[in-house]
Amino acid sequence: MEQPNNLIIAMQNGDEKAFSNLYTMYSEAVYGIIYSIVLDENTAEELLQDVFVKVWNNATSYSVKKGRFFTWLLNIARNAAIDETRSKAFKNRRKNLNITNFVDILTSSDSLNRATNAIGLKKFVEALKPACIKIIDLLYFKGFTQAEASKTLDLPIGTIKTRNRTCINELREMVLG
Amino acid sequence: MTPEEIIASGNLELYVCGALSPEEATEVEQAIAAHPEVKREVELIEESLILLAETVAPPVSAMVWTYILDSIRNVRDDGNGKVRKLNWPAITGWAAAILFLGGIMWMLKQTNDLNDALQVTTTQNTILKEEKSTVESKLAENDKTLEILRSRDYRTYTLPGNQAVAPEAFAKVYLHNKENVAYIDVSGLPTPPRGKVYQVWSLKMEPLTPTSVGLIDPVNKTAENLYRFVDFPMPEAIGITLEPEGGSDTPTLSQLYTLGMITL
Repeated sequence: MEQPNNLIIAMQNGDEKAFSNLYTMYSEAVYGIIYSIVLDENTAEELLQDVFVKVWNNATSYSVKKGRFFTWLLNIARNAAIDETRSKAFKNRRKNLNITNFVDILTSSDSLNRATNAIGLKKFVEALKPACIKIIDLLYFKGFTQAEASKTLDLPIGTIKTRNRTCINELREMVLG
Repeated sequence: MTPEEIIASGNLELYVCGALSPEEATEVEQAIAAHPEVKREVELIEESLILLAETVAPPVSAMVWTYILDSIRNVRDDGNGKVRKLNWPAITGWAAAILFLGGIMWMLKQTNDLNDALQVTTTQNTILKEEKSTVESKLAENDKTLEILRSRDYRTYTLPGNQAVAPEAFAKVYLHNKENVAYIDVSGLPTPPRGKVYQVWSLKMEPLTPTSVGLIDPVNKTAENLYRFVDFPMPEAIGITLEPEGGSDTPTLSQLYTLGMITL
């Protein structure tokens, strides 16, 4: 998918319609990232709101010449969600400790969203190898650096990088065909 | 690095995840700009990762977008300050508060004015009361005087002025011969000069013996210009002289103002 630079620039110039289109395109993925970190729908919805208000208010701090728009969104969303998990209120509230990664969420969830149902992605994602689930969870969903992932998984940095590529390739073949 | 090497390096996946160092990210951006196949590869990685995140997301409530829209519109309005709606409830509230305060101030002023007026009236009343009591006491005094003058127990004598000293002067004497009380009215005498005082003398003729009866002095005063003397010896004549303050033992005849015979 080519990045919608026209919409992004229009939003940066204060175009609400463009912002609305971008929300439609990216909000579900952003929500998935936030939810995989906070594991609570109400908290995740609040954070999703906060993140997009932040996107609008700080739209000009992103440049289409530097980095992917989605990666920029991803950083804002992960930071907001991780900040939330560090708050005392959140720690008191958190109950479900069985869920540790995105596949656990899929497995334990009964209510699936539009995208998951329509394309039937659930079974593909669940088919990912455990090693892939771990590495994608850390680098993509949790925003770990390569060094942090290397330490957590007890693997050399070079292995982290190549395994991540292999796993995402597998994912691509499954979900994009 | 060739485009193929970059694609195979694993850096593009890390780039989309946001896990590359700034230097490596810059390299990737240069490769994306230079090679369409690198750009295409990045787009495919991104698309599959977006789909992955979407599968994990619970259904999104439509309220989220409504809330976002509300938030950014409020921020916009505050920022521009162009579209400023009048807050009528607040304006009405403030107006009412100001009116109410004004009303209270007005009423306070009214109360103050009334208090001032009341004080003035009270003062005037006091003055009038004092005047009234003065008038009453004066009236009582006059009544008493009149009583004396009307009484038949008192006999009235007029002491004519001494031709040599004060031809116009005169004094009136009211004498109660049984009780030896006399009232002397000196309104016919000129006001004595400073340091001088009138002295009343009772006179026996043969031989001529003056006896001081007393001074025309506030001690003896009973009413305006009317002086009372008790133990008044029954004289044959009464004279009034002007003497130095405190009186004299013998009358200064050169200063004899009035002299009159008394016929009992």
